Amino acid sequence: MPDTAEIFKGGSEDRFSHRPMMPANVRAGQVIGLVEVTGGLGSKIDASQLADELGEDIAVLLPILEAAELLGLVVTNKGEVTLTEFGHKFQKTLKNKVRLLRDKLAEIEPFRTALVIASHRRDVNTEDIVEELETEGIRWHHQRDINYSLVQALLIHWALYSGMLTYDGRTGKFKRAA
Amino acid sequence: MTDAKSQAMQSASLTPIITVDKVSLDFTKEKELMPVLVEVSLVAPKDQFVMITGPSGCGKSTLLRIIAGLTPASSGVVKFREEPVTKPRNEIAMVFQNFVLLPWKTSLENVMFGLLARKDLTDQEKLARATQALDDAGLRGFETVYPGELSGGMKQRVGVARALALAPQVLLMDEPFSSLDDLTAENLRREIYSLLISSSSPIQSVIMVSHNVEEIIELADKVVVLSARPARVVGELKIDLPRPRDKKSKEFFDWVDRVYALLA
Repeated sequence: MPDTAEIFKGGSEDRFSHRPMMPANVRAGQVIGLVEVTGGLGSKIDASQLADELGEDIAVLLPILEAAELLGLVVTNKGEVTLTEFGHKFQKTLKNKVRLLRDKLAEIEPFRTALVIASHRRDVNTEDIVEELETEGIRWHHQRDINYSLVQALLIHWALYSGMLTYDGRTGKFKRAA
Repeated sequence: MTDAKSQAMQSASLTPIITVDKVSLDFTKEKELMPVLVEVSLVAPKDQFVMITGPSGCGKSTLLRIIAGLTPASSGVVKFREEPVTKPRNEIAMVFQNFVLLPWKTSLENVMFGLLARKDLTDQEKLARATQALDDAGLRGFETVYPGELSGGMKQRVGVARALALAPQVLLMDEPFSSLDDLTAENLRREIYSLLISSSSPIQSVIMVSHNVEEIIELADKVVVLSARPARVVGELKIDLPRPRDKKSKEFFDWVDRVYALLA
């Protein structure tokens, strides 16, 4: 079984460059809700008005907006939030809509690294993924145990929901989905 | 909503599935009788979404537990069709506010736990039902994930899957979205409503407790408003707004105002 250093050896030149990171505490339900509400309000809305509509603090809304933008569902320009064409398609999809995000998620950390390692091994645990990300300076929290929990939660939530990885809670191992 | 079941909900036949007839509940505290519910009556007809609301602590959840057969009433009767409900029944399932999942069991095991008492099902049938219910609740791939590894919205999906696995005719929901943030709740509310009214769903009637008036107007065919403790029915509204409901419309706000007026 190759180790992570070997997997990434000779990898793309952007290995140490800035990579998009999923905000740690954003979940798919929040992004779906944001798209539904934005679509329901005419596809274009001011971010602070959106926060008012939802009764949420703008500070809570911003990471959700960031995630939605990373996933190509909305664009924000000078505080105005607009649904993209993909966002409209996403909104109209009724079932398993998070599966539509699989390709987008594969470009975002920690999913990108998890997918690369899982493609080279039979299975992978969160520790391997966290270690590899840390060698690249990618972390969500400076405390190692908290960072581990955040990455684990992101992987279980998004990577499973989108059908990118499978996970066995009894072994703590992820595998690339068929 | 365009499917046949949702149209049936809008032009609902009034066959009662659940009848609550003059149900009262008293507690005794320091030898003093404390009434909680006073002669509460309501009917949940076939293909209707009934919402119960009232001030905090008025006994909404207690009423739901009585309907579920989990708490005995001091007087009055709850009927499922024509039969009195005196204990939990296979035809009635409940989704709880705080998920009530066993942390040492996986999602699939939690869903199967609800089927343990079903002697009429083989282990294979229980597994198939639980797997299908998780899939229906949008949790395919989460079978071996433990509750502690799930987000709040996903925990509630497991709670919904556990209820759906029972293939109930009546679904009782106790503020199922109140522990979730607004955006998660918005999404889950839409998905669960679509699931409940789908033509493949065995559910014939839903009774849900909520204190969120906008949520009530979005979902309800009928609203039963309770007073502060001791709770009495102070009003019953039949909401005939077309679906899907436009939360920005004047009609929607008019209904919101009417429910607030009763609550006040």
